[in-house]
Amino acid sequence: MDKTKKSTKRLRTAKDLNRLVIDYYLECHEAKRRGTPVGWMPPMNGAIELFYAMDLQPVFPENWSPVCAAFGLTPGNFDVTDGLGYSRDLCGYLRNITGYVHGFMNDESIPLGGLPEPDILLSPGGGCVPVMKIFHILERRFPKAKVFSADLPQVAVEDIRKHHLDYAVWEMNRLIDFLTEVTGHRMDHDRLAEVVKLSDQACALWDEIMSYRRFIPTPLSAAEIGIMFVMVTRQGTQIAVDFLTAVRDEVKERAEAGIGVIDDERIRLFWDNIPLWYNMGLFNYFEKMGGVAVAETYSAAWSLRLDTEHPLEALAMKSLMSYPLVSCVSIRKRKEMVLKACREYSIDGAVLHRNKSCVPITLGQMDIKRALEEELGVPSVIIDADHMDDQNFSVAQFETRVDAFMEMLYEKKGLKL
Amino acid sequence: MPSQPAAPFYEVLKENERVTPALSGERYVGYFCTYTPIEIIHAAGFTPFRVAGGLDSVSLADTLTPNFICPYMRVATEKALRGEYGFLSGLVQGYTCDVACGLINIWKDNIGGDPCHLVPLPYNDNEASRDFLRSALKELIEKLDRAGGCFSEERLEHSLSLYDEIRRVILDLYDRRYEGSLPFSAGDFLTVIQAGYVTPPERYLGLLKTLRDEADHEREDGQPPSIPVLVSGSLVEEPRILEIIEESGGRICADDLCTGFRQWSPATGSGARPLDRVIDRHMRRFPCPSRSRARDRAPLIIDLVRRSAARGVIFLFQKFCTPHLADYPILNEELKKERIPATVFEMEETGIMEGQLRTRMETFFETLGERDG
Ligand code: SF4
Ligand code: SF4
Repeated sequence: MDKTKKSTKRLRTAKDLNRLVIDYYLECHEAKRRGTPVGWMPPMNGAIELFYAMDLQPVFPENWSPVCAAFGLTPGNFDVTDGLGYSRDLCGYLRNITGYVHGFMNDESIPLGGLPEPDILLSPGGGCVPVMKIFHILERRFPKAKVFSADLPQVAVEDIRKHHLDYAVWEMNRLIDFLTEVTGHRMDHDRLAEVVKLSDQACALWDEIMSYRRFIPTPLSAAEIGIMFVMVTRQGTQIAVDFLTAVRDEVKERAEAGIGVIDDERIRLFWDNIPLWYNMGLFNYFEKMGGVAVAETYSAAWSLRLDTEHPLEALAMKSLMSYPLVSCVSIRKRKEMVLKACREYSIDGAVLHRNKSCVPITLGQMDIKRALEEELGVPSVIIDADHMDDQNFSVAQFETRVDAFMEMLYEKKGLKL
Repeated sequence: MPSQPAAPFYEVLKENERVTPALSGERYVGYFCTYTPIEIIHAAGFTPFRVAGGLDSVSLADTLTPNFICPYMRVATEKALRGEYGFLSGLVQGYTCDVACGLINIWKDNIGGDPCHLVPLPYNDNEASRDFLRSALKELIEKLDRAGGCFSEERLEHSLSLYDEIRRVILDLYDRRYEGSLPFSAGDFLTVIQAGYVTPPERYLGLLKTLRDEADHEREDGQPPSIPVLVSGSLVEEPRILEIIEESGGRICADDLCTGFRQWSPATGSGARPLDRVIDRHMRRFPCPSRSRARDRAPLIIDLVRRSAARGVIFLFQKFCTPHLADYPILNEELKKERIPATVFEMEETGIMEGQLRTRMETFFETLGERDG
């Protein structure tokens, strides 16, 4: 098997995703041409809804990394970053985007036209250190961009108290004032309420889509998880709702008709940590032995329902919860979530990606591994890899480990190979 | 060999290894890094105890952590799993880096303690963020009290006066270090500082004052024939590392380390009530990379270089330490603009790699020597 490989997708609607991705990047460039302010921001927070509500264009440098990985641009970006003196031990997203903005950013040949330069940088305080540092690097690279230094309490989901929420809401209001001041766009609160409603609808659809994965055989596997793109870039828009409705319909139809991702589904797997963006084909590797990656940790981050009666509080809450839920900020909650998913999706085994690039998601994994074994009797295997750097990944080792793991699961289930 | 004035501090550390702190009658609360409000822990009736890592191999910690986090946290976890921190009542840590955050949660479920608490810290300084910090500190006080603490404003006033005084004395010693008149080595200085991590502040302050008096008597005259340098980076736990730098031709005249200057400056905060002063000092701390921008740190480090007449900067990082590694290229660029030479060394879990460090340092000092004639 190759080190870099795209996944095989079975959903009709997953193919429509390509169009959506192209449209999104076209829209970003179009916005820039029209003079609509372009703001770069980290994902998984409530700022995206504010941007759409204020007619500003959000851009997500973190999402650009999987795109670079898919197009094979990452090694070139890494070379640039290495040359600047950054350690190879840093998160691959940081190394990729740093190389991109200092290297091929304005190269004609960049797919999708690349990213339009930012007018605004939403520089986070909170979230993980690498994301914070990515934005410090961007601030230096784009000195003309207006910088909003955001601040967000870093607290486990189960420990959120009123003072955390109050401060997060205060920050939301400060962000709105900042955006109004630097762009002249005003916040229309009715429009915001609409956007939050759409965002919540997308989450509801997401939940519904995920719920069909309970079916045996499952109609949707991790190989199609690219649909997450709309949750990252389009939350709060009709586009996301329409797309997810179509996905829901297709998934529902397949589930009810008993059409699985593969014909003979024998082993149901759970995937923990970020995928290997340069090799999404790995998800198909399990299939030759009847294995399907039915569920994964980070998809849970998108199923946070919003209190549409209180839009600002809802967005503040979303900002407080999204990242902790999938990282080491809320190990207990995350563990709970993984166990719940494994129960609900009838998981036979878990694949834990020990991700050299992402310390915050990797920390806590061993606790989860133990809980899976002790509380559910679900065995797991550790795969040493990296979500961006294929130098930290060995296909041969992956195959050996997965083969042995699958054999063990077969035996455990009393199946014959 | 420790120098005479620093000897009692070596003693304190040794004593701490021999007699388990549990027998001292103190109730200890551990912490990893100095963004933890230790004055509040002390005011609640506990003795703050900075958890150490050190030079050790790791096996037990492999069951809980990946091998690509800083050696400090790996070894500290190893020791905790071996039961060496069993005397700690709890663990409190301000949110600094992702590893510190993850490890608090991992310790909570695998090692235990009450409270086991992560204090979220604001990144910005304004009225609302100060209010938020106040609420976060009050939450900590609540947790400490629930674990048997006895916090009161008067007690905090007292704890603050102790810690402020400790910081003032140490900053005095730093002033002497800038002049080159400190009668002990950087390794000794680190030991002096580390003794404070395990000693109740009343006793530590006494030792420090004696040290300062002795330092006054033993003032060294003139600059020693070595090259003054500033060391910047993560926490350095091994005095040996600093000794090697000094043996290779350097003299550490200033630092920007987690186990150094960053935890002392400023000595005190302003405000009417003691909690206001804790908050104010926190907000005005000499910044650390996990909480600030390289852009803002660079001028402060350059100031320290000028003030101490350092001729170069040595970056010492814990391997895999993201905040420091991510700031390094920008800092280095800023130093270059000021024509300040720099070199970098990463400290690994398996030891300090003495040979490699020595070679790197000797080369660096040679270049500095040639450059400055
Ligand atoms: S969460 Fe992980 S992958 Fe994402 S930026 Fe932070 S360290 Fe990198
Ligand atoms: S700042 Fe660096 S050395 Fe300190 S705990 Fe975090 S990773 Fe380790």
